[in-house]
Amino acid sequence: MRIDQDQLIEKLLDLTRQAKDSTNKFKELQPATVSFRPSPNEWSILECLEHLNLYGDYYLPEIETQLLKSEAIEETPYFKSGILGDYFVSAVKADNGKKMKALKYMDPSNLELSITTIDRFLKQLNTLESLLEQSRKVNLSKVKTAVTLSRFIKIRLGDTLRFLVYHNERHIVQAERVLKKISSEQREDNSLLDSSVNHGSRSSVIADGV
Amino acid sequence: MAENKEISVLSFTKKVLNAFDEVAKRKVFKKGSFLLREGEIERNIYLIEKGAVRVFYLSEFEEIIFRLGYDGSIINSLSSFVSNKPSEFYIQTIRQTKVKIISKETLQHILKESQDSLEQYTEFLEYLLIQQIDREIDLLTASPAKRLERVLKRSPDLFQHVPLKYIASYLRMKPETLSRVRNS
Repeated sequence: MRIDQDQLIEKLLDLTRQAKDSTNKFKELQPATVSFRPSPNEWSILECLEHLNLYGDYYLPEIETQLLKSEAIEETPYFKSGILGDYFVSAVKADNGKKMKALKYMDPSNLELSITTIDRFLKQLNTLESLLEQSRKVNLSKVKTAVTLSRFIKIRLGDTLRFLVYHNERHIVQAERVLKKISSEQREDNSLLDSSVNHGSRSSVIADGV
Repeated sequence: MAENKEISVLSFTKKVLNAFDEVAKRKVFKKGSFLLREGEIERNIYLIEKGAVRVFYLSEFEEIIFRLGYDGSIINSLSSFVSNKPSEFYIQTIRQTKVKIISKETLQHILKESQDSLEQYTEFLEYLLIQQIDREIDLLTASPAKRLERVLKRSPDLFQHVPLKYIASYLRMKPETLSRVRNS
């Protein structure tokens, strides 16, 4: 892939803003809805987002470290994907239709999750936005970051940013699918969790009988 | 001096408790419930009758606990309560927790009643200020062992009320470090 660097960043920023919009919608849902698993081996909305948080935990500081070490550029170059980087990106794109199994240390399914998972993800998206802005000033093909698999494997910063953004998109699409499933089951069975009423936070007060 | 403060806090608490009985606002929260979330405005003071809560700040990477409360503690998101601005902190129950809640309006009502209450409230706030400074010194204390020692001096029964992992976060150390300093 070869693209004007600024164009690439604009595109990634745009996708990140869309991710924020979707996530803000998840934030309005009831706790029971966001932790609902459609089936025992499918992730809940919270688990989808926590999976992304776990990637952010690794990549956001790594990107920041590499940005701090990099020199500013005078003019905007073209970005050219690396072979490995481009492979990672195409593997996680939402529209490639392939199912993947999460790496064990990126698997959120045994973690204790709460609505802070959503807030944390929103904060990570803000950090990602500011890192994207700062990335305009470096050469995305020359700056490299290590990957989670091994710190000896490095890919181009432009590919790292693409990977993160498309990986976010993939699992947000997954979370939206889960929500759709819940709403269609709801229509069949009214006793199922209602996501539209009382979207405050006090639903778990025992004394109120919930 | 410190002892006097304790007594004032007690008498103020007593007064608040009496007010509670009049307005009778008590609630039981399930484990993991939020008394307050980031972005909401704090309108209450909570007295914990039984149970435990943690007050934490959420960064993009972790939850950082900066206050713990259990049986007898008075807790809220103070800066939001005072300024009416959105809270930067979450308050979450660590286990099922019984609280008495006093709203800002009720509190103001009590304070208007007498000069006494106002003075006691001022002393109560001063006491909170001292707690805050103590906490600041905690965080400036480099040695994990000394940090633990300071906290245990203030709250000797902390470990009976709060799980280790939360105390570790409060002390800004890894759970492994905490169990190491505890056992040495």
